[in-house]
Amino acid sequence: MAKNRTEVADIDRSLYDFSYGEEGFERLDAGLTPDIVREISERKNEPAWMLERRLKSLEIYHNTPNPTWGPGIDGLDMDHIVTYVKPNTDQKADWDSVPDDIKNTFERLGIPEAERSYLAGVGAQYDSELVYHNMQDTASKMGIVYSGIEEALHEPKWEALIREKFMTLIPPTDHKFAALHGAVWSGGSFVYVPKGVKLDFPLQSYFRLNAAGAGQFEHTLIIVEDDADLHFIEGCSAPKYNVANLHAGAVELFVGKRAHLRYSTIENWSKNMYNLNTKRARCEEEGEIEWISGSFGSHVGYLYPMSVLAGRKSRSSFTGITFAGAGQNLDTGCKVVLGAPDTTATVETKSISKGGGISTFRSSIVATPAAEGSAASVSCQSLMLDDISRSDTIPAMDIRAKNVDIGHEATIGRIGDDKVFYLMSRGMSEEEARTMIVNGFANPVSKELPLEYAVEMNNLIKLEMEGAIG
Amino acid sequence: MSATPLLSITGLTASVDEKTILHGIDLDVAAGETHVLMGPNGAGKSTMGHVIMGDPVYTVNEGTITFDGQDITDLSPDKRSRAGLFLSFQAPVEIPGVPLSSFLRASIAGRPGLEMKGKEFRRRVKELAAELDMDTAYLNRELGVGFSGGEKKKVEMLQLLLLQPKLAILDETDSGLDVDALGVVSRGMDAYRRSTDGSLVIITHNTRILEHLEVDRVHVMVNGRIVREDDASLIPWIDANGFDSFEREAAEQLAAGESR
Amino acid sequence: MKMDGMTIRHASAMPAPTWSWLKMNDVTVKIPDGLERTCQVEIEAGDTLDNTTSFESAIARLQERLDAERSDARADSRAICVAATRKDKGAEDLDVPALSSYEKRAALSEMAGDVAADFETGIGINARAYLNFLAGGTAVLAAEAGETEQANIRVTAENGTASGASVDIIAEDGATFAVTISLDSTAEQPTFMGSTLRVFAGRGARVDLTVYVTASDAVTLMEDSGFVLDEDARVTVRHVVLAGGFTATGLAADLRGDRSRIDVETSYLAAGTEQRDFNYVIRHRGRKTLSNMDANGVLTGSSKKCLRGTIDLIHGAKGAEGAERETVLLANHGVDNKTIPTILCDEDDVAGNHGATIGHVRPEQLFYAACRGLSQEQTEALFLSAKLEDAALRAPNDAIRAHVVRLGNQIVPDFEEEIA
Repeated sequence: MAKNRTEVADIDRSLYDFSYGEEGFERLDAGLTPDIVREISERKNEPAWMLERRLKSLEIYHNTPNPTWGPGIDGLDMDHIVTYVKPNTDQKADWDSVPDDIKNTFERLGIPEAERSYLAGVGAQYDSELVYHNMQDTASKMGIVYSGIEEALHEPKWEALIREKFMTLIPPTDHKFAALHGAVWSGGSFVYVPKGVKLDFPLQSYFRLNAAGAGQFEHTLIIVEDDADLHFIEGCSAPKYNVANLHAGAVELFVGKRAHLRYSTIENWSKNMYNLNTKRARCEEEGEIEWISGSFGSHVGYLYPMSVLAGRKSRSSFTGITFAGAGQNLDTGCKVVLGAPDTTATVETKSISKGGGISTFRSSIVATPAAEGSAASVSCQSLMLDDISRSDTIPAMDIRAKNVDIGHEATIGRIGDDKVFYLMSRGMSEEEARTMIVNGFANPVSKELPLEYAVEMNNLIKLEMEGAIG
Repeated sequence: MSATPLLSITGLTASVDEKTILHGIDLDVAAGETHVLMGPNGAGKSTMGHVIMGDPVYTVNEGTITFDGQDITDLSPDKRSRAGLFLSFQAPVEIPGVPLSSFLRASIAGRPGLEMKGKEFRRRVKELAAELDMDTAYLNRELGVGFSGGEKKKVEMLQLLLLQPKLAILDETDSGLDVDALGVVSRGMDAYRRSTDGSLVIITHNTRILEHLEVDRVHVMVNGRIVREDDASLIPWIDANGFDSFEREAAEQLAAGESR
Repeated sequence: MKMDGMTIRHASAMPAPTWSWLKMNDVTVKIPDGLERTCQVEIEAGDTLDNTTSFESAIARLQERLDAERSDARADSRAICVAATRKDKGAEDLDVPALSSYEKRAALSEMAGDVAADFETGIGINARAYLNFLAGGTAVLAAEAGETEQANIRVTAENGTASGASVDIIAEDGATFAVTISLDSTAEQPTFMGSTLRVFAGRGARVDLTVYVTASDAVTLMEDSGFVLDEDARVTVRHVVLAGGFTATGLAADLRGDRSRIDVETSYLAAGTEQRDFNYVIRHRGRKTLSNMDANGVLTGSSKKCLRGTIDLIHGAKGAEGAERETVLLANHGVDNKTIPTILCDEDDVAGNHGATIGHVRPEQLFYAACRGLSQEQTEALFLSAKLEDAALRAPNDAIRAHVVRLGNQIVPDFEEEIA
């Protein structure tokens, strides 16, 4: 073996690189104004209370400073936001405008043609609408509501419930981008699982069409009533292609007593994206939330799904992976509040940095004085694939209850040369060896995903690792 | 032999996580006797020691444990200890932040006849350490942290000698494998027998530890049941034949029981 | 002359901050109003008191050598460095990541390689300035090359006073220097005390620092230190913080020289409404540098504690290893324990790991102790008394031991007799 270290070069980024010319946007000079927000609301024909909340959020947005602790967002041109959110904005996106590279990526990830255009976020959709309707039919026979949140808002039956829950878990005061979301949110899913109903196949959000927006500020509201069970899958491992480069969605999950919700996401945004997504779940007595989360792509990412364990013996588990390649600064992790007796939380995360990319694992575990008898364990491992990248681990714990057990373990390091040598001595190329080791590292996450997603994620890692060896 | 046994176990059934591990155990140990509890791996021998000592991990579903004339079935382990019961662990639990000497002092505090102050305590502990050939530097180290196998054993034996229990249960399931540990335990048992008239229950599946020891009674345990009881002559027989025949019989009885 | 009260904000700030709502990024130190400035400091330093050398000149010599070594190094073209030296172009340049303000600072410091500019103490510049003002001047203690020296620093404070020490320790190449600091006070009214220390450990030098804090609960206290380690230097630090109303302990170490190493052991107790604050920042800059941080504490009453521990594995620190571990026992309802063990890593050939265990005595430990006759309450009390006993047994001198015994007698019956 040559003595020189092989450089882990970046993948051919043109797979993801594309940009719109300035002329693609209707550039407005003014920032986000109450008038624009009113226009959005009017257009959607919303109840008056929603407009009020939007306007309140807008005010909070203007009065809240940018976060100072995370990746820089100075490069984000906030004036552009207006162009994303204005209802009349013609997104002018169609399948033909999607670069061939992206189309190729879909192909290589093994994604059926029918889904590709939806995944690319370009609107027009073919057969998957059918898939969605089938899914919706089966679910509705069980009493499950699965629809667009805007549609649900127009049904008096659901309007009251949405009004009661909407942005209560993620109040607009939470942070600047939650406020922005509250002001300009558009589209998203509404799921209601009645008491005792257990759905034995996952609901998958990307099959649900959302003509108006490509998921820039979508709001997902899921209510799983007592004793019910749901697995919800958001997105998939193909690159999400969007016309705009800011994503500030919100996901609010309400898990009833003894209910169970598994929420799986592989977020893979195109690499010009600022992904500032907020996700939060609240569990009542003996309720359980499971997060499976993969973060790929995007230029800047802030993503920390949060579990609020409000009921006795409620549980949370978080399994996550983050892969930061060249030019990416992904700040990810999770937050847990142990807020009741005998709650348990586990966190297991993996992060990978490569090609000058930066990944930060950030977490908080807070045990309130009510959390008597609770336990939490956090384990995070970081893998450095070269010496030009960066990986930070910043886990905070604030424990105010006596009879609790909080454990935390973290390690950071690189792939051992001995491991690579061993695999190569068995006939693998260095690239194959490294890819195999990285896939093994990611295994705790992929094994939690449905098979087709796991395959996609492994393919995605393979793509990221491709051409990595000179 | 006295008429009322020191330790008397009747119809003891115990479980962990709703899985029953001990099934209707009866066992008596008289004062001053040495008993051996043997059996293949996984027979429930260690569980037995822990249940007698009151490990909260196990639930006693049926039966009673009487010790020194007192029903201790529902007593917490610290009260059982103060009543004169002792259970040695295969290794002490690590307790970072607590030096061994502080732990020892706390364990004798408030025990009539055993409580010692300052200098007297240190002298006694050093004496016992010398008897066990233990480096006194360990006394200032955190309990169990970074101790070798032999040293861990010495810590257990040191406590046996310091606390002078009426009955000591020595869980030596693993000791047969480690020559050093074996030596330490033998020395500890000898010293214990010399200095007290206490009873011993030795849990093992290896007969080497029993050499040079006068054994009064041998109990063989298989699948959570006592399947055979005899005098010391059973030991050489087990040495030669192992537990196979007991296991076969137990399996046959179980099959017969099910077919009925 | 009585001084006005003062507030030092953003003291003991951790290098890479996190969510501000957690209120863990730094601490605010309130210096009580109306204190009288005194300097009750005794330094027992034998012949190490030295006016001919200085911390600054030691740093300058190190800088000179480092500059000579890296004069032929190529400019750093990593994307992180590109990002740090220009305006954020956002997603226009997909090869260059958008840096957080911390990452930017870190990259700039890496590129500059300026030992003096990088120098920091654990609590920070404002605390250090105030302590220097109280001390009225800095004592320079030096161990000459190859010599073995020892120094004891004692700070006390009486009711209503503010007392501080400022000391520079210089261990020349191959020297061995053992230093103890005692911060002790029995004041019953608001009082402030503290010390600030700069330590330079030359090539192959060895510095052992032991700090005991045994101040009463009326005392506000800052114990601040900063270390620079040259090649093969080895530093061990033992912080024993047993009492004090509000205590801030801060340590920053620059492992600049290859193979330098620091081991920090922290033992703390907090009772009543006391508050403990710790900030440790270990910067691995040299190759094959090693660090270990090990903290063990017991919180009782309604006490509060925050421990920030940062291992920073800086680009170029090939083969470096850093580890931190904390074990905390929460012995009462109403205590508040904050822990944030951070690893920053800008290098691949390194190993960093950290762990924390927070909570009550584990069930298997309780069972073991119960088998030896200890109830849960007795076992919990044992952790507290064991800490005091250990502190007394390992006290570096009789004066410090006497302070620990004084505290022990207040908490543990027959404490003095038991450890006699």
